Amino acid sequence: MRLPRELFRTVRSGNWSVKLSCLIMGFGCMANGQVGKGLLYLAFQVLSILFVICFGWQYISHFGTLGENAQKKVWDEAAQIYRRVPGDNSMLILLFSVLTFAVILLAVWVWCMNIRSAGRAYRLRREGKPVPSLREEAKTLLDGRFHVTLLSAPMVSLVLFTVLPIIFMILIAFTNFDSNHQPPGNLFTWTGLQNVTDIFLGSELKTATFRGILLWTVVWAVFATVTNYIFGMLLALLINHKYVKLKKMWRTWFIIPIAIPQFVSLLLVSRALEPTGAINVLLMELHLTETPLPFLTDPLLARITVIVINMWIGIPYTMMTFSGVLMNIPEELYESAEIDGAGPVRRFLSITLPYMIFVTTPATITTFVGNINNFNVIYLLTAGGPASLDYYQAGKTDLLVTWLYKLTVDQHDYALASTIGIFIFMIVSVCSLTVYNRSNAVRKEDMFQ
Amino acid sequence: MKKALSVFLSVLMLLSVCLAAQADAVTLKVWDGQDDQEILKELCEAYAAAHPENTYTFEYGVVGTADASARYLEDPAAAADVFVYPDDQLIRLVQADALYEVTRNHDEIVAANSQGSVNAASWQGTLYGYPETSDNGYFLFYDKSVLTEEDVKTLDGILAAAEKAGKKFNFDVANGWYIASFFIGNGCEITLDENGNQVCDFNNEKGLAAAEAVQAMCNHPAFLPGDQNILTGTIGENVCAGVCGTWVADAVKERLGDNYAACKLPTFTCGGEQVQMGSFGGCKILGVNTQSANPVEAMQLAEFLTCEASQLRRFEVRGYGPSNNAVAAGEAVAADPALAALAAQSEYAITQLIIGDFWTPATAFGNELIANEQNDLQTLLDQWVAQTVAQ
Repeated sequence: MRLPRELFRTVRSGNWSVKLSCLIMGFGCMANGQVGKGLLYLAFQVLSILFVICFGWQYISHFGTLGENAQKKVWDEAAQIYRRVPGDNSMLILLFSVLTFAVILLAVWVWCMNIRSAGRAYRLRREGKPVPSLREEAKTLLDGRFHVTLLSAPMVSLVLFTVLPIIFMILIAFTNFDSNHQPPGNLFTWTGLQNVTDIFLGSELKTATFRGILLWTVVWAVFATVTNYIFGMLLALLINHKYVKLKKMWRTWFIIPIAIPQFVSLLLVSRALEPTGAINVLLMELHLTETPLPFLTDPLLARITVIVINMWIGIPYTMMTFSGVLMNIPEELYESAEIDGAGPVRRFLSITLPYMIFVTTPATITTFVGNINNFNVIYLLTAGGPASLDYYQAGKTDLLVTWLYKLTVDQHDYALASTIGIFIFMIVSVCSLTVYNRSNAVRKEDMFQ
Repeated sequence: MKKALSVFLSVLMLLSVCLAAQADAVTLKVWDGQDDQEILKELCEAYAAAHPENTYTFEYGVVGTADASARYLEDPAAAADVFVYPDDQLIRLVQADALYEVTRNHDEIVAANSQGSVNAASWQGTLYGYPETSDNGYFLFYDKSVLTEEDVKTLDGILAAAEKAGKKFNFDVANGWYIASFFIGNGCEITLDENGNQVCDFNNEKGLAAAEAVQAMCNHPAFLPGDQNILTGTIGENVCAGVCGTWVADAVKERLGDNYAACKLPTFTCGGEQVQMGSFGGCKILGVNTQSANPVEAMQLAEFLTCEASQLRRFEVRGYGPSNNAVAAGEAVAADPALAALAAQSEYAITQLIIGDFWTPATAFGNELIANEQNDLQTLLDQWVAQTVAQ
């Protein structure tokens, strides 16, 4: 509320030139000796009005319905074909409406700045002080207001490439943009909260799918994170133990899986786990099993398989982290504890563990969030399978993110996918913010030696 | 005065030359799969040579049939003028008004191509594309050293002989495209009604009987599930027969050598009787984009790319089964065991009319049959059909 009040005061206390710059941008600046700046404002006003009239209006005028006329056919006798008369395109209407609204918002902001500069120039002139020229003001961008210069490029690209696309995606969640509503032949339109209610209440199948997949996503994220954490820690402790020889060799051995690109090793493992794959053939040759084990087709076994394979992929990373942390724990702590009579278990519980948890909590939160969205391991290993008749377009090892992928890429169910995307974002951000802010690493930041 | 006039005239001449050149320059964007780029370029250049009235520039894009409709719908205006798509994407493309109707030389095209391929390229009586191949189907590959011609007539015969030889029979149960062959064979329907709604009755009595037959096959010790396990399995060693399509024909032939054989799908025991397995018969179709700036030229090109000579050339270079009647009747095509088997199976094949959510639940259904020896088949079928026909 501060800006409108300030602008109102500026206009009331200013003379006619300031008042007129509400209508003609830059007028106040020009009348008070800032011709260059005033012209820039005026040019911006003309350009933005031209943009909205010539380009934006044709889209925002249809924003309410996202288009009424689909493409039409007209018989062309000469060419012997049905010529197409272009109709509306819902997607372009939505996309360019968002862009136009952003330009309008920008114009409102520039309009406010224009009144503020007009008021400032008027005050300076009335008080008989020198009014800075455009050149002088531009110079401050390299000096007093250097932060503006530095931050403008990242800000502009952030808005253009992140904020606007996200707004566009969020808006799609409130439409019926799916495989049956594909422009130019069919248009899509607003359906309000239909997709949200579909997921939570309306459609029995979709609700069951969302619930089942959400539950498995959480189970998976917990198991994938905890197993990697514990086994990585144990491995690091083992390797760093003073009686273990050839430490560097062991570390190298365990890090080798990282050297192979993840998708290559995952695809190879996935092939090896098939009924005729290497692992099943080996098991049968050794007569450990009569028939191939359904590693990827039995729901429970598939879930266990992905968690185990993920350990193979993830433990080297946690082992590396923990090795680094372990080597940084001051040796004196252990020595004094030993003098005080603490055994190995006591030393581990009172020195090593608190130290490690303190240091690695933020990294673990990142890993947990990464696991919620761990597309690679799931999609490359099982592709979400085995598919289930209880689920809508999903399988028993599908995470929310792989389900979303299938809905977009295979089913073209963009609206539903967008809704799920919003929920993934909400879950992930709430989880990580809460845990992060409650972690010791943040609360007792100053206590770290 | 004279000088001015001559300048004016020469400018006028230059302008008219420019305009004429512009009218003649036609740029067409064409999409085809990675492996088909060479033959596509060859045929497009042949088309340009046959139509000297325009100067053609071709822009080639690598978009395979599987991605055609998805890539088209991402941005129709930027999509190719002429692109190839499989017949199962036809309805989605028609609904998005992506395809020009075939209105020029319609009757000639219908007459030149097989009835099945014309049906597959049509929707509600309108022809929406130019059939390019007619080999998107499946049939039986087998190892002559293990199975006799008598064995391969029935599914029971194949499984019994395979078990005796200690080998496997591969059928991808977890794929709606293959598993439907049992249901179609036993007289079930998967089609669209006149309003374009999905109709599927796989959960009736006939469907249940077919499902029981599938379950029996899955429980047989000689049965091997999995996609293309005929190759990875591998045929000639552990696998003696499998159901797959022309795309693995060369690889299977290489493995089996002289023992390579192919034939139509076998019959299966259903309610005590022998029933012939059905199948989906599909084809690749060339479509002309409704957003094309040069629709007439694009149609001429599509027609040329699918004419008798082009289809023959495509068969020679790539081994694709032709939809053109004259090429299909040729000696070279008839001598190809895979294409001959496909032709024999085409008698029992139907066009794939599916817009509902058929595929994912079909995979789930197949998985259940593989995972468990006993299933409540009726409930599974009901769930499958419910998802398929859901609006």
